[in-house]
Amino acid sequence: MPDVRTWLLWALTVLVTASRVRNPLYSILTLLIAAVVELVCAPHRGAGLPSSFRFGVTVVVLGALFNGLTAHLGDTVLFSLPAQLPLSGGPVTLEALVYGATNGLVLAAIFSSFSTFNRVTPVRDLVRLTPRAFHEAGVVISIALTFIPQMMYHLDEIRDAQAVRGHRMRGLRDWLPVILPLLTGGLERAIGLAEAMVARGYGALSNRRHSLRTQMFLLVGLMGVLVGWLAFLLLPQWRLAAVSGMIASGGLIAGLLWQTGRSIPHTSYRMHRWTLCDSLIVLGCCVTLVSMFAPLPFVNRKALYYSPYPRLSPPPFDAVAGVGLFGLLVPAIVVKRGAADDRD
Amino acid sequence: MSARRIIGGTIYVLSGVVGVLAFIYPFLLAEVPRQSYGQAHGQDTPLVTIALVGLSVVALLVELQGREISARTVALLGVLVAIASVLRFIENAVPGPGGFSPIFAPIILAGYVFGSRFGFLMGAFTLLTSALITGGVGPWLPYQMFTAGWTGMTAGWLSYVVRALCVKEKLEFVALCVFGFAWGLLYGAIVNLWFWPWAVGVPGQTWTPGLGLWETVRRYGAFYIVTSLVWDTARAAGNVALLLLLGPATLRALSRFRQRFYFEVCTDA
Repeated sequence: MPDVRTWLLWALTVLVTASRVRNPLYSILTLLIAAVVELVCAPHRGAGLPSSFRFGVTVVVLGALFNGLTAHLGDTVLFSLPAQLPLSGGPVTLEALVYGATNGLVLAAIFSSFSTFNRVTPVRDLVRLTPRAFHEAGVVISIALTFIPQMMYHLDEIRDAQAVRGHRMRGLRDWLPVILPLLTGGLERAIGLAEAMVARGYGALSNRRHSLRTQMFLLVGLMGVLVGWLAFLLLPQWRLAAVSGMIASGGLIAGLLWQTGRSIPHTSYRMHRWTLCDSLIVLGCCVTLVSMFAPLPFVNRKALYYSPYPRLSPPPFDAVAGVGLFGLLVPAIVVKRGAADDRD
Repeated sequence: MSARRIIGGTIYVLSGVVGVLAFIYPFLLAEVPRQSYGQAHGQDTPLVTIALVGLSVVALLVELQGREISARTVALLGVLVAIASVLRFIENAVPGPGGFSPIFAPIILAGYVFGSRFGFLMGAFTLLTSALITGGVGPWLPYQMFTAGWTGMTAGWLSYVVRALCVKEKLEFVALCVFGFAWGLLYGAIVNLWFWPWAVGVPGQTWTPGLGLWETVRRYGAFYIVTSLVWDTARAAGNVALLLLLGPATLRALSRFRQRFYFEVCTDA
């Protein structure tokens, strides 16, 4: 099974591709590819359709209907609604329906990629992704994830105990005798856990306070991001410099994270190995990004954008960009079927 | 006041400013040359914004973690986040009306009792953890974390105001309910901003670059009233109901445990 970072890169590539392209042909292709990857890598076991598919259909239909009923633009009038109707009154056009459906496809593709990501990556791998600098954050999330099943168990116990006493859950007020013991019980366990952590030496070895220098660098990085962002928004002619400044400042903050993380002792049980499978997926993502967005002379980038207004016409399609999208299909080819389930 | 505290405070403010600017960029964006309506919506700005909000959360967490966090705080935070995440799990299994969610009342009460820093961490981690267990990880997550963090952080500020004004217990709950109602609406209004630049619909409700501040505010207001107000009102009313029914007892329990958690023996060393 690929590394969680590989899956994250794959989901981000779909996000970037889906959100930057406004052409229904590419959006449908992206959505289909994401669906195939989900079906192959994380097969749906229950009856009925996967939630991402249902969401996709809903958002495309609703997007088309909402835009069709509210945006009365375009030449091909299908029918007209009485002008007295608030918002929806006026001509309903084919172009408005297509535009709404196109935007629904974008949202469906983004959701589908992250749905796949959520299904194929075990929670423990996601927690492991926490940078070492966020040591405490990782501990907090680990504690929370460990306590959740216990809390669910205690919730059932408390409900049973209250039911034996004749308590019935009829309304919101009846939750108080259940929630309060859950809260106080949880807080008692937190005190016990804190004492156990201290007894095992938590926080005893190092002084975790940042140095003044670290704080200064963080401040400089944030200021760089702020100035870059303002320039990006307000000075379009300086956009390249602004983006460069933001990347440099972001890099400074990331470097700071890495430097801070180095001071934290860290051990890993069964490190995940980078495999050929990971490399192939990364390569596939690079192929997609380059073919879609790099200024290649043989790719017609105008084909990525399509507007059905004022009169509906067939959307343009560039074959090289279309083939490049298939780089996102690599996980479905290289990952063993149902491997996600094997790991859980 | 030491240099460390001044710099720490500035980092807080700057992270907040970067986050706020990332949220409200549609209201600030200057006229940008574009070729077509469709292309305008396909610009890089929303993607940069997602990265920026993520970076602000990271910077704020680095600063918050830079101060000493005791084992008690870590354990308390972990357990409270677990309780709030369980509530979201229940909400997913049995959806409430509209945008009602039971996770905001614990975030508000925790921020109110344990302070703004704890409140921010509680809000951000609750959304992160519950997203991990319910499969809700996505580009919307940094926005949700930031907004829930602000909810908890401002709840801490509310407690300062309430203490400074020495209000009675009943008025304290009125203040908490008003606060919960306001954040019920604000949460939706803020988080909507992550996808509003991508949304389609009536020209009078959608965003295009270079509209000008007031026109953008007017359009967003119209979009919010049409698409979200009813949904968010259910969340706001739910917050008030939870704070009214469960708040007094929960607040007393949390206050009692705060004394136990932060109990320290002073020695004349």
